[in-house]
Amino acid sequence: MIKHHPQQALLDAHAQAQLPLSMTIAVAAHCEMCPTCQQYLEQRQDYIAAQTLTSADNCTDDSNGDEIDLQDDWSTMIDDITALPPEELAPFKPDIVEIKQRNYHLPRAFKHRVSRDWSTLGKISRMRLGIDENDSRASLLHIDAGGDIPEHGHGAQEMTLLLAGEFSDEYNQYQAGDFIVLDKNHKHSPSTIEGCLCYTVVDAPLHFTKGISKLLNPIGKLIY
Amino acid sequence: MPELQTYRRQNRYDNNSKLLSGRSMDKDNQPVPHEHLEKMIALVANQRDKQAFGVLFKFFMPKIRSFGMQKLGHQGLAMDLVQETMQNIWTKSHLYNGDKGAVTTWVYTIMRNRCFDMLRKIQHNREDTFGDDIWPIFESDESIDTQQDNDPLMSNLLMQHLEQLPLAQRQVVKGIYLQELSQQELAEKLNIPLGTVKSRLRLGLEKLKSFLEKHHD
Repeated sequence: MIKHHPQQALLDAHAQAQLPLSMTIAVAAHCEMCPTCQQYLEQRQDYIAAQTLTSADNCTDDSNGDEIDLQDDWSTMIDDITALPPEELAPFKPDIVEIKQRNYHLPRAFKHRVSRDWSTLGKISRMRLGIDENDSRASLLHIDAGGDIPEHGHGAQEMTLLLAGEFSDEYNQYQAGDFIVLDKNHKHSPSTIEGCLCYTVVDAPLHFTKGISKLLNPIGKLIY
Repeated sequence: MPELQTYRRQNRYDNNSKLLSGRSMDKDNQPVPHEHLEKMIALVANQRDKQAFGVLFKFFMPKIRSFGMQKLGHQGLAMDLVQETMQNIWTKSHLYNGDKGAVTTWVYTIMRNRCFDMLRKIQHNREDTFGDDIWPIFESDESIDTQQDNDPLMSNLLMQHLEQLPLAQRQVVKGIYLQELSQQELAEKLNIPLGTVKSRLRLGLEKLKSFLEKHHD
């Protein structure tokens, strides 16, 4: 049983693509492993979809006014699209990482993200994923059987998603699928008996990116 | 929703669809005809029915566009989002499964995923296609993947092949990938319809891909 879940606010933000990539991958991977959160996510998506795509409020901009002017453009677009053939479904194959003679199948959310090299020190191995944003760092962390990490605090927030195996610290025992957020006030010294693979985001950007279009403005001006 | 109503008058499915008349429709504030949307998707999936696609287009286009304006903050990009989302609906309609969710959820997922990938492209200049792996509903078409990132050899090779494309396709591919214009802007600049930009881009990328595959053989 998975005992540690992302907060609802994180799930809601994930459903609307409002989280930075490193965090949204963590929430997506958790939901793949956790039927409870998956179900909640699907309900939220149904609700948000209905709000976004069927509420009359969302099409009241200038769409009525330019309907006639754009008629030709739209019909060209429709003709172009309908000239395309159907696309077939490519079967999903999970990415596999190998470390310390073990193979791990990764959740789909990690697809194409895990082709980098491990750096190993004793029983601890880390693979940086190329999805860092601002000051946050995302990696896969592997602790081999019998390994531990000396007690440490966190300069900032740390998010850990346990992907396989188990580990314990002063607070809890964790198992695959657990989604753990520790802030800078928590010190801990995790250790594992059988070994574990985690996805970690240090200085986890738990803030949401609601103002994303504001952020885009300067870039937008530069490009356009 | 005047557009939908207007369309209804012309729509040949109206006459033989009990689904619409079966629900009590308030003319000013209609409930969303979910069954109707499902039927349109089925017609597109099974019969490649262009008129049914037109119904879906009219219904979803204004909402996708205003969602795009809100998230992307730019008219041209919002148009790109409309094109990409509607194109996915046409090419993947046979993958829609009504047991797994409403049409609106399916369309929302496609729209959100395409928008997420577009934002990544704008903010980080990454040609990512993460969206469909993070929120999977069906497999995405990854026609061009990220392998040419940070690979100077591959970039050189691509530039050489780019010069071999016919002028019309070369202009479009260069405009989008080197000058980073939106498809709408490129259409205006070259004075051609947006749809033509799309199809030239697609043809150009397919040709580039085939050049590269040949080269690797």
